Amino acid sequence: MSEIAAKAPTRPRRRLIVSRLVPYLLLQVLIVIATILGLRLLQPSDPDDFAVSGFSLREDGATRPVTLPHFTSSRYSLGDPPLYTGAFTFRRDQAASGWSVFLPRFSNAVEVAVNGVVVLDSRRDANANRPDRNTPQIAMIPASLLRDGSNEIMVRLFVWGPLKGFLDTVYVGPDAALRPAFETRTLLFVTLPVVFSAWQSILAVILAIMWLMRRREPVYGVLAVAMVLGVVQAFVPPPVPPAPTSRLAAVLLASAPTESALIVMFGVLFFGWRWPRYGTLLFAPGLIVFVVGLIAGPPLPRILFLVLGIPTVGISLFLMACVTATAVVRRQDAASFTIGCAVTIVLTCWVHDMLSVFEIVTNERIFVSRLSYSAMLVAIGAGLTWRFARALNQVDSFAGQLVARVREAEERLKASFAREEERARAAALANERTRLMRDLHDGLGGQLVSIVALSERGHEGATITDAARAALKDLRLVIDSMDDIGGDLMLALGSWRERATAQLRPHDIALDWRVATPQGLPLHPELRPWHVIQIVRILDEAVTNAVKHAQARNVAVTIETLDGGQGPYGVISVTDDGRGFVPSGNGASQTARGLRNMRSRAARCGAVLDLSSDASGTRVRLQLPQVFPDSDAAGG
Amino acid sequence: MSEQGETGEAITILLVEDDAPTCWRLQDALVKAGYEVRSAGTLAEARSALAEAAPRVLLTDLRLPDGHGVELIREIRQRFPDTEIMVISALGDEESVISAITVGATGYLLKDAFPTDIATTVRDLVAGHSPISASIARFIVRRTQGAAQGSAEPSPGPALNTAKLTPREIDILWGIAKGFSYAEIASHLGLSRQTVPGHIKNIYRKLEVHTRSEAVFEAVQQGLIKL
Repeated sequence: MSEIAAKAPTRPRRRLIVSRLVPYLLLQVLIVIATILGLRLLQPSDPDDFAVSGFSLREDGATRPVTLPHFTSSRYSLGDPPLYTGAFTFRRDQAASGWSVFLPRFSNAVEVAVNGVVVLDSRRDANANRPDRNTPQIAMIPASLLRDGSNEIMVRLFVWGPLKGFLDTVYVGPDAALRPAFETRTLLFVTLPVVFSAWQSILAVILAIMWLMRRREPVYGVLAVAMVLGVVQAFVPPPVPPAPTSRLAAVLLASAPTESALIVMFGVLFFGWRWPRYGTLLFAPGLIVFVVGLIAGPPLPRILFLVLGIPTVGISLFLMACVTATAVVRRQDAASFTIGCAVTIVLTCWVHDMLSVFEIVTNERIFVSRLSYSAMLVAIGAGLTWRFARALNQVDSFAGQLVARVREAEERLKASFAREEERARAAALANERTRLMRDLHDGLGGQLVSIVALSERGHEGATITDAARAALKDLRLVIDSMDDIGGDLMLALGSWRERATAQLRPHDIALDWRVATPQGLPLHPELRPWHVIQIVRILDEAVTNAVKHAQARNVAVTIETLDGGQGPYGVISVTDDGRGFVPSGNGASQTARGLRNMRSRAARCGAVLDLSSDASGTRVRLQLPQVFPDSDAAGG
Repeated sequence: MSEQGETGEAITILLVEDDAPTCWRLQDALVKAGYEVRSAGTLAEARSALAEAAPRVLLTDLRLPDGHGVELIREIRQRFPDTEIMVISALGDEESVISAITVGATGYLLKDAFPTDIATTVRDLVAGHSPISASIARFIVRRTQGAAQGSAEPSPGPALNTAKLTPREIDILWGIAKGFSYAEIASHLGLSRQTVPGHIKNIYRKLEVHTRSEAVFEAVQQGLIKL
């Protein structure tokens, strides 16, 4: 049971791999066929009417007839080069224009002489001698050199190993007939590589900048280095033997294997895998070629390049093909498909070149790997830039989304803030309502109840009137305390003075109002309505006592601000000239209850109540706190 | 003991109050003091009473069965500019009193005031003394503070334009709000005791918004409306 369970997931997985890999491989086969066909079709055509292919070759002292194209043996000495001697026929009456000699392909360098006079020496053009380029050469034959009838042409082929020397068919004829073929080859094998290299150099700069700005994406840096190497290799002309700068030659030789290793590295990084540590081995051949080139003179580096460098390029291409195939199986995306096809094309070209080098198939020694490789690099670079631009677009749209999302969040936050505020306001309202209820209950409620009680017992006149007046007064106090007085208790006392005066006037009691200090009382920003109510009720109680129980003739209210050194505090005193009472405090009389009430109210506000009474009058001294308490200290 | 105006005839008072006991109480106090009192229970009754003759004094409740006292005050203010107007209020709360002041009322009379106080208040009013309570003064000065701070939110309560008040008038209001007597205020501010009621009368007139066009003008002055 468990075995089946363990095996079960692997089978569909394998099936998936096969189902993805087989079409891909078939596609690659098609591409290989297409590439071969393309190479065949794109082979530049030469003006066969003017071909000169019958030559006699003098080599190493021996002379033999040969037919061009012809491979000579590899050699490492420039002395006594193979000499091809041939003949062509010139008819002066046919020649409307000048005649030229056109060499489509040779390796490595040629010196062409017509009738014993040198008309072309390719050694002067360093790029023309590069074996990896298929540079054609054309040279005008001065009319004076040409003889009516048979003319002699001699081609000296300079070869520096390890590759064999090669001389393609030589064409001699009217310049007008030869030049188009030459131009075609120049375009394909000289101009196009330069264009690709220029393109590469631009992409190298762009990719290097990308990498500099995004160090954590080494893929751009790797590709940039590969491109820089390619550009250097393309633009720095290799020294023509026997020039002594072998070090430069060594560096240039090392570029191809290093580049190919870099491309593999790029592939691995591009598809999001980690570059394995043993992968560094891939750089070893390039390094060896480089080091040997620095130490040893030619031709050893070139031999090493052939032995180590070229296979490294092949291995790298093969590895790259494997990497892309894996990527195709795993990712099935456009990038892996495109790069995979490009790698297949380059690999095919490389195999084609190898077949040429080893003369396994008949060929004209046209090397195409470098060209296809450059094209591939350009394609990859363009693809990367495209991807970068697309990423920028994504960033833009992401930023847009972010803005929208932030706005959304802001809206939500605003809504929840409003809700919260609403809740807080509701809570504050509820608090206020509770306080108001308590205040009304404390004062108005009790007074109305006592009015009811008095009416029911048949009391008439004064008592009910007093109770009703007290109720009204309390209602006014509660309403008055709701007003915002900005922490200035004097504003509350101002209204109270009016009410107290009105209350005392019918009893013919004068209210003596004294504000001892100019500003009255200190400001209390923390003052709340319930503080005001408590204080005013204390003062009311004091005045009521003076009227009802003490039979006073004068009531004096003194307001002052004192400063005991710890900041100012207010003191309100109510003094009457009544007959006083004994402040026992524990009696059940109305006076005693009133006194207890006053004390508890004072305590709730953090104020200190002092009461002194004797036969000459009563004095209530209310010392306000410096800071009023925030919460009701003594509870309801 | 009949109260008489400058010309000698009895001073007429139009009392508009829908609650009958309150109306009786006030009427008793005023008649006893020698005033000629006509009473009305509704706006309609008050208007028909006005058709006969202009009263010297109008005492009106604000909440009436067929409308608001403010309408009556505005009408009388326009038709009879010499009539002194006072609001009758149970609690003397700013909400109702201030809105009456802006249409031309001068202070308020508490419904439960003692008869002597009622008579005194009306006598002072006719004599040209405009009473102002501490709570009303407080409301006005708090509003001037709010306007000075330029708070964006409109202050709670009825609209009130305090822009025309002079600093001296505001000082006087402060004194009243804090419970000082006219004499104390006069001595603090270096004024004559007799000039204080005149200042208060001015304050009332300045708080009054006479017409719609004036209201617009003042709104522009205060920068509430941008032309």
